[in-house]
Amino acid sequence: MSLVLDVMLALAVIGVAGWTLLVRGNFPAVIGFVAYGLLLALVWVRLGAVDVALTEAALGAGATGVLLLFAVVRLRGGKAEIDAATPSPPQRVAAAILCGVVGLGLAVAMLNLPDPAPSLAAEATRHLPLLGVGNPITGVLMAYRGLDTLLEAVVLVFAVLAIWSMAPDRRWGAIPGPLFPVQSSGPLSLLARVLPPIGIVVGIHIAWVGADAPGGKFQGGTILAAMGILAWVAGLWRLPPVASRGLRWAVVAGPLVFIGVGLLGFVIADGFLSYPPGFAKPLILLIEAAMTLSVAAAIVLMVAGPPERPA
Amino acid sequence: MAEALLLAAGLIFLAALAGLYRALRGPGAADRMMAAQLLCSGGIAALLLLAAATGLAGVVDVALVLALLGAFASVAFVLAARGLGQR
Repeated sequence: MSLVLDVMLALAVIGVAGWTLLVRGNFPAVIGFVAYGLLLALVWVRLGAVDVALTEAALGAGATGVLLLFAVVRLRGGKAEIDAATPSPPQRVAAAILCGVVGLGLAVAMLNLPDPAPSLAAEATRHLPLLGVGNPITGVLMAYRGLDTLLEAVVLVFAVLAIWSMAPDRRWGAIPGPLFPVQSSGPLSLLARVLPPIGIVVGIHIAWVGADAPGGKFQGGTILAAMGILAWVAGLWRLPPVASRGLRWAVVAGPLVFIGVGLLGFVIADGFLSYPPGFAKPLILLIEAAMTLSVAAAIVLMVAGPPERPA
Repeated sequence: MAEALLLAAGLIFLAALAGLYRALRGPGAADRMMAAQLLCSGGIAALLLLAAATGLAGVVDVALVLALLGAFASVAFVLAARGLGQR
C-alpha cells in the first residue's frame, strides 16, 4: 500500500512540476508552484525528513508562493519591460538542457551510492548530548555547521536591503508596500481577527520545539510573518516606515545576536561560534529566539516591497 | 491498522489529485484557487493519517502549518486576483 502511495506522489510531483514550467499564464503558474510545494512537503514526510517537510510547507509553498503572487500583480501592465526581460527561446532551451543534465547527474549519483550510503548521522547523534538539544538537525545547523546558518541569517538582511534600495529617492524612509483599506466587515476582516492569535501561538511553538523535534526559527518566523501580513492586508496593522529604528533593529537582531554569541566563543570557549560545554543549549535558544523575530520581520518586508508611500 | 490508515490516506490523496485538474486547467482564477485549497485540505488529512500510521514525530506540526498557511494563501490569491490595495 505504501508503495502505491509513494508512486502516486512521485508521479503527481513530476506532473505538476512539468505543467508549472510549461503553462503560459503567470497566475496559473504560481498556483502550480504552490501545489508543487505542497506535494513536495508530502514527499519529504514520506522520506522521513519532517524538518525539510516543515520548511517546504512554510517557506517553499507558503512564503515563496505569496512573494511570487504579489510579484505577478506588480508585473501587470508592464508588458514591454516583461518582454525585454524574458529570455529568448534558444536561451530557454539552453537553460532546460543545463537543468536536465544537472538533474540527470544527481539522479545517477544517487542511484550509484554504495549500500549503506556513507553517512555522518551516527557521528552527529553521538555528540548531541554535549549540546543538550534533542533534534540532530538543530545540532548540525546551530553547532556543527553554525557558520553556514550564520551566513544564511545575514542573507536575509541583505535581501531586505536589496528590496529597499529599489525605492525612488523621494520615497526613502517611507512606508513599504501598497495601502490596504481597513476591512470593518466581511470574510477578510473575520479571518484577520481570528487567525493571528492561533497563528502566533503555533509560530512560537514551531520555533520553540525546534531544539528537540522538527521545527525551528525559519519555519516559526514564516508563520509569524504570515499572521502579520494577514493583519496588514486587512488594514488592521500599519507597517512602520523603513526609517523606523524599531523595524531596523527587528531585522538585524537575529544576525547580531548570532555574531555576538559567535564572538563570545573566543572568550568562553574554543573559538568563533563554539559553545562552552553545558551551556550550549541556552545560547542556541537565545540565537533561535532572536532569529525568529528577524526572519518574521524580513519576510513581512520582502512581501511588502520597497517603500512607496510617504509616512 | 497502519495499512488501513495508509489506504485511507491514499484515497484522500487521490480525491485531492482529481481536484488538481481544476487547479491546473481553470478556467477561472476562482476554480484554480478552490482546487488548490482542496489539495491543501486533502494534504492535511493525508498527513494526519500518515502521522497516525507511522508515528513519525512532527508530522502533525506539518499539518498544522499547512492549515494556517492554506487559509493565508487563499487570502493572498483573492488579493492578487482583484489587484493589491490602493496605490
